[in-house]
Amino acid sequence: MTKQMHAFHMVNPSPWPLTGAASAFMLTSGLAMWFHKHSNTLIFLSMILMLLTMYQWWRDITREGTFQGHHTSLVQKSLRYGMILFIVSEVCFFFGFFWTFYHSSLSPSPDLGMMWPPKGVIPLDPFEIPLLNTAILLGSGVSVTWAHHSLMEKTHKDMVISLSITIILGIYFTLLQGMEYFNSTFNISDNAYGSTFFVATGFHGGHVIIGTLFLTVCLLRQLMFHFTSSHHFGFEAAAWYWHFVDVVWLFLFISIYWWGS
Amino acid sequence: MKIGIRIPELYFDLGCFVMASLGLRRIFGVVRTFSAAAADNGAHKGSSRTWKILTFTVALPGVGVCMLNAYLKTRGGHERPEFIPYPHMRIRNVSFPWGDGNHTLFHNRHLNALPDGYEDESEDH
Repeated sequence: MTKQMHAFHMVNPSPWPLTGAASAFMLTSGLAMWFHKHSNTLIFLSMILMLLTMYQWWRDITREGTFQGHHTSLVQKSLRYGMILFIVSEVCFFFGFFWTFYHSSLSPSPDLGMMWPPKGVIPLDPFEIPLLNTAILLGSGVSVTWAHHSLMEKTHKDMVISLSITIILGIYFTLLQGMEYFNSTFNISDNAYGSTFFVATGFHGGHVIIGTLFLTVCLLRQLMFHFTSSHHFGFEAAAWYWHFVDVVWLFLFISIYWWGS
Repeated sequence: MKIGIRIPELYFDLGCFVMASLGLRRIFGVVRTFSAAAADNGAHKGSSRTWKILTFTVALPGVGVCMLNAYLKTRGGHERPEFIPYPHMRIRNVSFPWGDGNHTLFHNRHLNALPDGYEDESEDH
């Protein structure tokens, strides 16, 4: 049997990068079709393709790493770099929305009444639900750290409990935000206040949902004994992403909810 | 069985009390494992116990306190603002691609007015 004389992972040919790119193309053009031509066929098809791609690509990575042993420490190092760089790109993404918020709010234009919040906009009280949401995310950061340590210390049951607590807190956050969205007196069409508020918090909420799903996948994998006490990068990546989501919320809370009210 | 723990005695006692009162003695016992060799990616002995204690004594009670605070504060009920047809509110340059094109995604009939005014006639809310 031929041995590979290097520590790298030469991935077998795979269709998922192509289907992923196709779905991304169809998502963007489909969004334009939906908004401007009121046709949702393209975006609907692209959603299906995207979900199929995600499921099969990540299933393959799990097979390659957990079952076939391709994830040597060198490969794992590259995966770490990859996740870190991805999170950096997400920071850049949110930076733009914070820029636009401060641009609009630091010198409010005359048609808003030269005040922030603009005339006619009643902001949410930051010390009601938003404060609770802050406690939820900070608390979930503690529980996910507990999960990590118990994974490293081989206490399986504790890890399952702590990760479940983290996921439940994430779901609770999303439900509360949804409730807030329905119970606000302002909406997205209410000038720059509404745009900046709902786009920034909306994208953040989307990232919370993604993070919760990522953590849920980790829980399922833990229940199937995929992770070892010293090799569990998938979980670490999920935990990093979750901390990132928490930090973005803290910035949102302080800038938009608190200072902006 | 005495295990060298780095956290102060106070946390240990408090942790025991919390664990007992929450009926978690069984889990608590499982957590008190030795770390084998030094192969645990830098995890110190018992550090998961520290985070467990923090979860149940700080994180979750903190959430509980904020829940109580939020509940007490919102008992007053939502007051909706008077409808004034400001041009910078309820902007409709393009219609929404759902429903009748005039309602936002999270539209609330009681709290959100349409460009023409509130949908429900009655004023006493």
